[in-house]
Amino acid sequence: MQPPEATTTTGYQSALAAYCRSGRYTAIPGVHKGHVTHYRRLVYNVVDDMLQSAYPLTYHLLTAKEWKQMVQDFFSSHACQSPQVWYMPRELHEYLVKTQHPLLEKYPFLSELLWLEWLEVELFMMEDKPAAFTAFGDIQADAFVLNPEHHLQHFHYPVHLKQAKQISAEDKGDYFLVLFRKPDNGEVAFMQLSPVLVTLLELLEERPQAMHPLVEQACATWQLPLNDAIREAAGAFFAQALENRLILGYDTKSHIL
Amino acid sequence: MVGIGFRKDFAAALLESPFFHPAFIEVAPENWIGVGGYWKKLFRQALEQYPLFTHGLSLSVGSPDELDLVFLGKVKDFLRETNAQIYSEHLSYSKCDNAHLYDLLPIPFTQEAVKHVSRRIRQVQDFLERRIAIEIVSYYTPVAPEMTEIAFINAVLQEADCDLLLDVNNVYVNGFNHQYNAKAFIDQLPMERVRYIHMAGHEKVAEDLIIDTHGEAIIDPVYDLFAYTVQRLDRDVPVLLERDFNIPELEALQQEIDRLQAIKNLHLKNHQYATA
Ligand SMILES: [Fe+2]
Repeated sequence: MQPPEATTTTGYQSALAAYCRSGRYTAIPGVHKGHVTHYRRLVYNVVDDMLQSAYPLTYHLLTAKEWKQMVQDFFSSHACQSPQVWYMPRELHEYLVKTQHPLLEKYPFLSELLWLEWLEVELFMMEDKPAAFTAFGDIQADAFVLNPEHHLQHFHYPVHLKQAKQISAEDKGDYFLVLFRKPDNGEVAFMQLSPVLVTLLELLEERPQAMHPLVEQACATWQLPLNDAIREAAGAFFAQALENRLILGYDTKSHIL
Repeated sequence: MVGIGFRKDFAAALLESPFFHPAFIEVAPENWIGVGGYWKKLFRQALEQYPLFTHGLSLSVGSPDELDLVFLGKVKDFLRETNAQIYSEHLSYSKCDNAHLYDLLPIPFTQEAVKHVSRRIRQVQDFLERRIAIEIVSYYTPVAPEMTEIAFINAVLQEADCDLLLDVNNVYVNGFNHQYNAKAFIDQLPMERVRYIHMAGHEKVAEDLIIDTHGEAIIDPVYDLFAYTVQRLDRDVPVLLERDFNIPELEALQQEIDRLQAIKNLHLKNHQYATA
């Protein structure tokens, strides 16, 4: 059914905005029919460009027709809430999940792929989170300071490990990772984690702690025997995390003591 | 003074360039609010070197929707934190029926819109505790007009009691698209309200239509209109070169800045001589 023709200033404004969102034009008095199409084109392009740059892997995965239909569904039926266009792509992920979009059925890992892509954007862009630490300390004894610019994630498909087109139902499983922003160049990196390491980082999120109490608590949580192999693996993990700045350094208070 | 729109495309180059010397930079607060990391570092460095002017995108003063006061609060904080010299916005709407469109749509030139928009501009000025400059936008079709564009603009400026951001290229584009004389249009604007000038390039997409792309160099007729505007103004107003797409080498941007500055110098010097 065609909506009734607008007759008030706000009605004309709604009609023009609705046309820009849907591409379906209903006559508005005084409007140049040949030229008004540029508004639809310009508005659509801004949104499409923004989504393509936030979700390059998804853009590559979907057929051109699927992508176009998805953007069209999203922009015409979802009311974008963010006044900041760079933050708007987050709403595409929310929209697809909320509406249980048919693409999620065709690509069971799509929601996780989109979320991974969005996490990378958000971590790269997000506001700085200050943390007090010192670069000097003893890896065996001093309390670690976790980089607060991180995000722990549990996926069911290896969207961070495999090309999207190669992912199949057989890949379904549990994948843990931590994404974080490197303080020196602002780039976003990730590390694969075992469930025990997730626990360890969750403990470290609460407050700075030293390696041995951390490993003890994590092993207790998972009812694992605390043996040399685990100690060694933990030592290697922390050395790597210090190197790549998932762990910024050492707690200043514990260091002074 | 002539400034440049601070684009991520050349942010790093701008900070390092030995020959590129805009007098100030302009950003859209929307692109920098809540941003940290790599971009925040560059932006902070830029703020150490240049004064900041701001030009908002999504306040949508012409919108039928309620003003977003949460967002406006963030803008206010941003203006304070960055010591922004000017906050400007567009005489258009970019949000409608609770949905952002991320582009500038033309407001119907109606009495109802004059009342609504000017009330909102006053509301924004009260909230921010500062005057704002409102920009005349390019438009590609009228929408249900009851009055002329110039009557609409002048009524809004008067009722809102705000400053004017005069985008000379937009006046040129609108004059072409809607077949009026751009100089005569400028003659009818309240020059005492002009706080800020924009200059940019555009693209002619059809025999009877120009789109305001900010993706090309400024063309000669727009420089002419700029010279005319500077003469009419008869005082020094900051000028911004807008270049958002298809960005050339910084040398080319510096040449445009130099040409704009030369035009200003010529006409303002003449003035000093005449009044000496
Ligand atoms: Fe402008």
